Amino acid sequence: MPVEAAAKGHENEIVMDLSAYDNLEEMKVQLEKSLGLVGDFGHKDEICLDIGTKRLTEKQLRELEKVVSLFGLSLKELRYSQKRGQGHVPHQVPLDSHELLQGGDTVMVCRNLRSGQKFYTRGNIVILGDINPGAEVIAGGNILVMGALRGMAHAGALGDEQSVIAAFRLNPTQLRIADHITRAPDGEMFKVDNPEMARIRAGKVVIEKMKF
Amino acid sequence: MSGRVLVVTSGKGGVGKTTTSANLGTALAMLDKKVVLVDTDIGLRNLDVVMGLENRIVFDIVDVVNEHCRLKQALIKDKRFESLCLLPAAQTKDKTAVSPHQMRNLTNDLRQEFDYILVDCPAGIEQGFKNAIAGADAAIVVATPEVSSVRDADRIIGLLEAAGLKETQLIINRIRPKMVKKGDMMDISDILDILSIELLGVVPEDESIVISTNRGEPAVMGNNSPAGEAYRRVARRIIGEKVPMYTLDDSSNIMTRFIKRLKLAR
Repeated sequence: MPVEAAAKGHENEIVMDLSAYDNLEEMKVQLEKSLGLVGDFGHKDEICLDIGTKRLTEKQLRELEKVVSLFGLSLKELRYSQKRGQGHVPHQVPLDSHELLQGGDTVMVCRNLRSGQKFYTRGNIVILGDINPGAEVIAGGNILVMGALRGMAHAGALGDEQSVIAAFRLNPTQLRIADHITRAPDGEMFKVDNPEMARIRAGKVVIEKMKF
Repeated sequence: MSGRVLVVTSGKGGVGKTTTSANLGTALAMLDKKVVLVDTDIGLRNLDVVMGLENRIVFDIVDVVNEHCRLKQALIKDKRFESLCLLPAAQTKDKTAVSPHQMRNLTNDLRQEFDYILVDCPAGIEQGFKNAIAGADAAIVVATPEVSSVRDADRIIGLLEAAGLKETQLIINRIRPKMVKKGDMMDISDILDILSIELLGVVPEDESIVISTNRGEPAVMGNNSPAGEAYRRVARRIIGEKVPMYTLDDSSNIMTRFIKRLKLAR
């Protein structure tokens, strides 16, 4: 094995270098192996993973988190060291890791999201305002828009098919729930004048009137 | 004395930023305000042409920020109005020739001399845009009733908010009342619904704009241009007067009024 996954203890955290591994399976195996080898982490309970040039999806990230949690640790952040096999200078990345790794609470956004603006959260999201075309909202949980949804919304982005998207005026360019992507039919213009909700029923995204 | 810096912007090109700047500047000067027009479209300058002042340019904005000349030397006095000036853009440089910091200093200098500083912003959201909004107190977003223009305006408003420019008002340009009535063009309310900002004015499509632009005489100076009239109203709104909004039913045609009344009665 060229490079062993190395667990280095910095001041208060454990940094594990997984940058030499190409796919998730290898990473997981190695992570388990090295964490098992170390066994005792003292009073440290947070770990940083250096995954080199690889990029992870949310799902893959969760799998790594799962492995880490088996050892009583929580994933603090991901690092991407630039050059593989050369010195490994891990450098902090702007992957909003903190935002990303915080629990699934509900976030409230009290403004309009305009074209080019993006909002991301792992939990639920409530928006007091409109989501305009060209704007994106991505949530691990549900999305509730107390205004017009004209842009793109992705609920259950971590794979939860139970997630729903509800809006005062549901008129999106595209809707995504978990792995499903839908859009309005071509050429048809709907005049929406009541609150609606999108959810998955029988493997399809359906839009229904809100029942109170 | 401290003047107000207004940036005229839109995101999309060709919606009438320069025309709006020239006309509002002239209209404000006609209201006895001291006005300076600043063209920040370096490399693609137009405002001087629209104002008919092209042949008087000696120094430009790049010369001023690089201190190759004094500000006063670069300011071109308008040929019609004593209180109107133009600071032209450079044509042989590009947008990187000026920095936002330099723009802020420049607008602060201009504030001492003028009541209104109108900054004509280039199309796009890159360096030129960032320069133009750097020293601004408020923004006037110009949009035409087209989906693409409204989309870009939305993006621009988002960027203005992010830059801390809270005061943003909208001018809807080149609207065609007849097409709106037939449902072939976006309505004012549709646009306001999406952009959700304050409406500063509505300017109708007007062929005389083409003529006045080619002649280098802003349309507000003539008396029989509907667009010119609309810009005069906007200017009065800018100085704080309460002026009724241009409405699509503003037609002086007795027949259309009559038909409208019939419709209302039903």
